[in-house]
Amino acid sequence: MHNVVIVGGGPAGLSAALTAAVAGAPVLLLDSNPRLGGQYWRTPADNFGDQNENHFDLATGLKLINSVKAQSNIQVLSGAQIWSASHKDGVSTLRVIYQGSEKIINTGNLILATGAYDRSLPFPGWDIPGVMTPGGVQSLIKGHGVVAGKRVVVAGSGPFLLPVAAGLVKSGADVVELLEANKSWRWASSILVLLENLSKIKEGFYYIEAISKGKVRARFGQAVVGAYAGENGELESVDIAKIDRNFKIKKVRNIKCDVAAIGWGFTADTSLAGALGCKQVVAKDESVVVLIDSKQQTSITGVFAAGEITGIGGSELSMIEGEIAGKSAAKFVGCAVDISRSDLIIRAKKQRFAAALIKAYPIKSGWRSWLDEQTVLCRCEEVDLADLKDSIVELGATDSRTAKLLTRCGMGLCQGRICGRFVVDLVADQLNISPTDIDRIAAVSRPIITPIPLGVLAAGE
Amino acid sequence: MSQFDIQFTFNGETISAISGQSVGAALLAAKQRTLRKTRFNQKGRGVFCGIGVCFDCLVVIDGASNQRACITEVISGMKVQTQVGTNA
Repeated sequence: MHNVVIVGGGPAGLSAALTAAVAGAPVLLLDSNPRLGGQYWRTPADNFGDQNENHFDLATGLKLINSVKAQSNIQVLSGAQIWSASHKDGVSTLRVIYQGSEKIINTGNLILATGAYDRSLPFPGWDIPGVMTPGGVQSLIKGHGVVAGKRVVVAGSGPFLLPVAAGLVKSGADVVELLEANKSWRWASSILVLLENLSKIKEGFYYIEAISKGKVRARFGQAVVGAYAGENGELESVDIAKIDRNFKIKKVRNIKCDVAAIGWGFTADTSLAGALGCKQVVAKDESVVVLIDSKQQTSITGVFAAGEITGIGGSELSMIEGEIAGKSAAKFVGCAVDISRSDLIIRAKKQRFAAALIKAYPIKSGWRSWLDEQTVLCRCEEVDLADLKDSIVELGATDSRTAKLLTRCGMGLCQGRICGRFVVDLVADQLNISPTDIDRIAAVSRPIITPIPLGVLAAGE
Repeated sequence: MSQFDIQFTFNGETISAISGQSVGAALLAAKQRTLRKTRFNQKGRGVFCGIGVCFDCLVVIDGASNQRACITEVISGMKVQTQVGTNA
C-alpha cells in the first residue's frame, strides 16, 4: 500500500493524518514548524511548561497531536520546508529542505493542508517596526513566551482580534484600544447560524471574559489609518479613525502605543497547490482558494485539500475537512473506509459559519482612501503608491501583472504574499476597472514556494 | 515561566534568551525592535508577520544574511547582526 503524504501539521493536517492512518494507510506528515499544531495550537518548547492558559482549547489539540505521534503508521517530519513542487502523470513531486539538505518525495496520494496567514492592508506607516500582524503578536506569546509590547492597539476586522487581545491582557500588556472596523449588527442576519454553532459562541465569550479583565473597551466602526515613528524610528503612536460603513475616514484622533497589531482576516496560502496545478478559484471574500469537490479532492485526481486553503473557516471546519480528506485519500490507496453522512452534515454546518463570517466582516473599498503617495505597498522591494501609479499613468500598464513587472511590486522575497492581494485592487482602482479572477489568481502564483540558498541545492540528493 | 538559560549577541551586545525561543522573539523581549535596514531607503524594519511569511525580520546570523529572525531558533553563542540592505 502506498503512503498518503500530508503537508501541514495544523488542525486540518493532523485530523487528516490520524483519520487516514486509523483507516489503515501509512502516512508521511510534513510540517514546516518545529512542533505540530499549526498556528492555532502553536506551543513553545517543552521547557516552557503547561500552556493551557494561553489557549481556549489546547486539550483538543494536544489529544490530536499525541494520537498522531502514537500512531505507528504515521511518520512525522517537522521543520520540513517545501521549496518547489510539480505534478505529472498522477505523481506529485515535492522538493523538501529537511535538516539542511534537499529531499525529493514522489507521491500519487497527497493531502494539502497548508493553512493561512494574516491578511494585511497598507496605510501610511505600516512598515514601521512595532506595527505587526495579530498573528505575529499571538505567535510570540503562544510560541515563545514573549509579549510584543507594553501599550498595544489591536485593530482590523474579524473574530481573530478577540483571542489576540485576550492573550495580550493575560500576558500583562495594556491593550489600549481594541478596534473592529465593522459594526456588530452585521451578525444580525446570521442568528440561526450562530445558534447551530454554539461552540463558537462559547469560544467568543471565553475571549471576551479574558479581555474584560484588562481595561479594554472594544469599539466598532474604527480603524488604525496611520502610524508614526519616534526618533529611534520605531512605533510611537497611531492615528485612529471613525470610519463609515465603506471604511471612509470620518474623524481622526492620535494615541500613543508601542505595538499596533492590525489584521483583516486571513489569506489562504495556496502556493503549493498552485505549483502542483490544482485549480484555484476566487471566493466570496475575493480571496483565492483551492477548488475542491465533496470528497475534498482538488482538480487533480489523488490530490486532496483541507482546512483554510479551501476557504477561511477556522479550526473546527479545518478538522472536519481534514477527516474527510483523510478518509478520501485512504480510500484512494485501497483502504475500506467511507465518508459518512454525519461527516457531511458537520462540514455543512461549519461551512455555514464560515459564510456568516464573510458576511459579518467585509473589507470595504474605502481603505484605499487611507493611503498617500508615499505609502509603501511592497515592503520587500520598497515600492510606494506613487511608483504604482506611475507604472499605469506614465508607462501604460493596463493590468496588475504588467504594473508588477514595471515596478517589482510583489517580486521580493515574500513573493507578494503580503501585497499581492491588495495591489490587484489598487491597480484596478487606477484603471477604473474591476479585477478579474485571472488577475487575482495570477497574484498568488509562485513557482518557487520558499526561497532557499543555492548551496543547499548543490549539496542535495 | 521559564528562566533565561542561554546567551547570544546582537551587534556585539550580549542578549539573554530562553531555549526554544526564536531569534526574533528573544530580541523583542530585549527591546530590540529594529532588525534590519532596507536596501534602498535604509528604513528600519522589524518582526511583522511573526510566522515566516513576510521576510521583513531578516538578520545576519553567524555571517549568513537573509535569515528570518522569527522562525530561526536561537542557539547559545549565536552572533546576530542587523542586516543593512543584503549584508551585515
